[in-house]
Amino acid sequence: MSAEARGHRRQDRPPVLGIAGLTIEFATRRGAARVVDDVTLDVWPQEIVGLIGESGSGKTMTALAVLGLLPRTARITTGDIRLSGASLLGLPEAQLRTIRGRQIAMIPQNPMSALNPVLRVGAQVGEPYVLHRGADWKTALTQAVRRLADVHLPLPDERASEYPHQFSGGMQQRAMTAMAIALDPPLLVADEPTTALDVTIQAQILRLLREIRDEHHTSMLFITHDLAVVAEMCDWVYVMYAGRILEQGSVERIFARPGHPYTQALLRATPTGEAAQAELISIPGSIPSPVDLPRGCRFVDRCPYRFKHCDEEPPLLTVEADHTARCWLVETHG
Amino acid sequence: MSVQLAQRERHWVGRSAVHWRRFRLLLIGGCLVGLVVLSAIFADVISPYSPYDIDVAIKLQPPNRAHWLGTDEFGRDVLSRVIHAARISVKVAAVAVSVGLIGGGVIGIAAGYFGGPVDMVLMRFMELLFSFPAILLAIVLMAVLGTSILNAMTAIGIIFIPGFSRLARAATQDVLRQQYIEAAHTIGMSDVRILTREILPNIITPLFVEAMAAFAYAVLLESSLSFLGLGAQPPEPSWGNMLNTGRGFMDQAPWLGVVPGMAMLIGVLGFNLLGDGLRDVFDPRLREAA
Amino acid sequence: MWRLIATRLAAFVPTVLATSLVLFVTVNVVPGSAAKAALGIDATAQAIARFEHEQGLDRPLHVQYLDWLGKAVRGDFGTSFQNHLPVGPELVSRLPVTLELAILAFLIANAIAVPLGALAAYHHQQRLDSVISVFATVLGAVPSFWLATVLILILALTVKVLPAGGYVPFAENPAKNVSLFIMPALSLGLVSSALLLRVMRAKMIEVLSSDYIHTALAKGAAPNVVIWRHALQNALITFLTVGAVEFGWLFGGVVIIEDIFLLPGVGQLVLVGIINRDYPVLLASALTVTVVVLAANMVVDLVAAVLDPRQVHARSRA
Repeated sequence: MSAEARGHRRQDRPPVLGIAGLTIEFATRRGAARVVDDVTLDVWPQEIVGLIGESGSGKTMTALAVLGLLPRTARITTGDIRLSGASLLGLPEAQLRTIRGRQIAMIPQNPMSALNPVLRVGAQVGEPYVLHRGADWKTALTQAVRRLADVHLPLPDERASEYPHQFSGGMQQRAMTAMAIALDPPLLVADEPTTALDVTIQAQILRLLREIRDEHHTSMLFITHDLAVVAEMCDWVYVMYAGRILEQGSVERIFARPGHPYTQALLRATPTGEAAQAELISIPGSIPSPVDLPRGCRFVDRCPYRFKHCDEEPPLLTVEADHTARCWLVETHG
Repeated sequence: MSVQLAQRERHWVGRSAVHWRRFRLLLIGGCLVGLVVLSAIFADVISPYSPYDIDVAIKLQPPNRAHWLGTDEFGRDVLSRVIHAARISVKVAAVAVSVGLIGGGVIGIAAGYFGGPVDMVLMRFMELLFSFPAILLAIVLMAVLGTSILNAMTAIGIIFIPGFSRLARAATQDVLRQQYIEAAHTIGMSDVRILTREILPNIITPLFVEAMAAFAYAVLLESSLSFLGLGAQPPEPSWGNMLNTGRGFMDQAPWLGVVPGMAMLIGVLGFNLLGDGLRDVFDPRLREAA
Repeated sequence: MWRLIATRLAAFVPTVLATSLVLFVTVNVVPGSAAKAALGIDATAQAIARFEHEQGLDRPLHVQYLDWLGKAVRGDFGTSFQNHLPVGPELVSRLPVTLELAILAFLIANAIAVPLGALAAYHHQQRLDSVISVFATVLGAVPSFWLATVLILILALTVKVLPAGGYVPFAENPAKNVSLFIMPALSLGLVSSALLLRVMRAKMIEVLSSDYIHTALAKGAAPNVVIWRHALQNALITFLTVGAVEFGWLFGGVVIIEDIFLLPGVGQLVLVGIINRDYPVLLASALTVTVVVLAANMVVDLVAAVLDPRQVHARSRA
């Protein structure tokens, strides 16, 4: 889907997921740790939106906030999370439970540990039908087999009665995907869904996720640290660093003309080609601690182009249509 | 919000509340242990009467102003006897834990350091000792060794050897996996020097923490043996033999049974809390370990 | 499944043999002690020599052990020095008492430890967790024999709802039998429950922080579903294995508890053997208590294995 298409969609209905000015803090002994800071992010219908960042950038916390599964010690101080226009914040837990699994589902990073080792795969994949539709287990199991077939698991009938440890990594992730799409939720949150898998399996799972978007008209928030995966999967991308969105825009534009030095460094660090195992650690320095953030731009300590203005944090400045970046140099570059 | 994810907090998320709670445990444990240990050391000074003075005229008196915790069947002051009994408990526990610590430490380090068949034989034997119910093993050992305080110390000490050896072995293996041990080998350090310079300092903390927990259990075991008449012998007071005698007077003088039990509770609880607290301070990784 | 049982049994037999060897050597290691025990301290050297020859105690230790073992596997545990009756039948008549006590105590311990441990874990670092943890810590510091004494004081002497001690076979009078076992089982069970509770809590906390629990939550499962369907079985697998070992370690308390409540079990026989320095009785009864513990461990281990599909179902084709 092109950027123009996105602009068009904006007109008719609210985004599937709309995060506005979201700030999440933890209380710590050394003061409040702001792990997510004023994040605004939209996922429009049938889009796959990438949220890219290193570990500790706040991308996983953002995802947990969407699911309403933040740790107890975390607090959303400002902002809003809206699902198809309706705010999720302030909803009682019981109501959030009716949304999780039905409106929003999750595809995890590590399918091996995300599957319950003592329950049969079929029961786990079919459980959403029991939880949300009040189905009996027999019906749920039939549905589970159907879903396992949807994700192209061979011999779904037999596999449904097996246990997770009898599955390969790729099959486990297919099962998790089947579980996620069980009730055709409008939004999937995929948290590094291919990081724990072999490269060849990665490609298969990515293909499967794209297919799901196309056939089930699902929208996806795709969390990753791998730019190559973003390039392959996403329509739109948000670059996150130390709790902040540093750059956002359509994938084509950002890859063609990265506006923020951080994104530029990411792109340089990513080997071209299918087998990209980009480790963002290759950028010198490390992500600042959320209790000890720099005063101005978040990236200032690691930025090769820093100058006196960087003591003051820039707003998201327009690079071009459908593309903004949080860097003073954007303007000077024109 | 669900609680399960509390575990997923990032490492830097403050634990100040938890810290305070743990510190409180340490404080309470320290006070209880202090009470017991000080009673043991200054028993002669603080106890109002001699624990041995018999006066049948005042036998089985309930707690009163002259005898705060009453008197026993021979008219002896219960408070004085309980205070003096702390002596036996602390002494037996200290020696027994030392026996276990040194024996288990040596065996565990040897097993961990040499590995291979040495490790297998030693640890198999430790497992075997561990498969006996603790008190049963102590009782059988006492039966063979003969009834005396010294033998009680030995018997209880032997029971602790497997536990300490496991810990010492695991800690030794941990240390051996570190890079610097390999470096020490390459620069030609001898086994003995590596053991004393590198391994010992690194495993002393977990062993010390475990020793506190063992202390609590040693107090309990000594009381059990004395209760059965296999430990401290009358008229020498110990919490176990006081309770055993008190048992016979439960209907007429319940304080004789209740008081030594409370003393045991204080001692065991104190050492347990102290052990838990120290475990958290020294090794947060063990916080939730069983 | 059968293979599982076979491997557990294969590990059980050598352990029992090894424990019997340790006990045998421990009891017989001091030369002449058995004879002195049987004949009195002032027995003449001649009398001791004759006794040792009669009992075969003058043979090398390993010969004695093999001889004893050969008879023991056929149920012959020798005769008591004291009353010259065979020890085997005595054990058989006392075993049901100890087993009943063990099973009841184990059930009580788990009935308290599992739900409270799970509850504390679910409310980890909240008030309820603190309350339960304090309860467990204090209870864990209570000596079982003191608890027994206090229970007798309250329930038998003051309120007079339960008999203070004694034994009636279950077949003879079930109600009376159970009423006699309540306090002994509580004394052992409550104290063990404190320790098991801590184990259960730790295991449950571990499980509740795992990824598959997060998956269940993300599916929209309610807390009770998460606990019962997703967490409990996983926690029990490790809890049972660790818990059984800990329980066994504490189970030596039967020796004291049976003595206090006048229960004619094997534990009491251990004490009888010690007081009379009756080595055949001591050896046989101590071994029996140990074997009961080992067997219980094995059974619990098997139950834990059955709960774990990774042990029952081999990896398939994939």
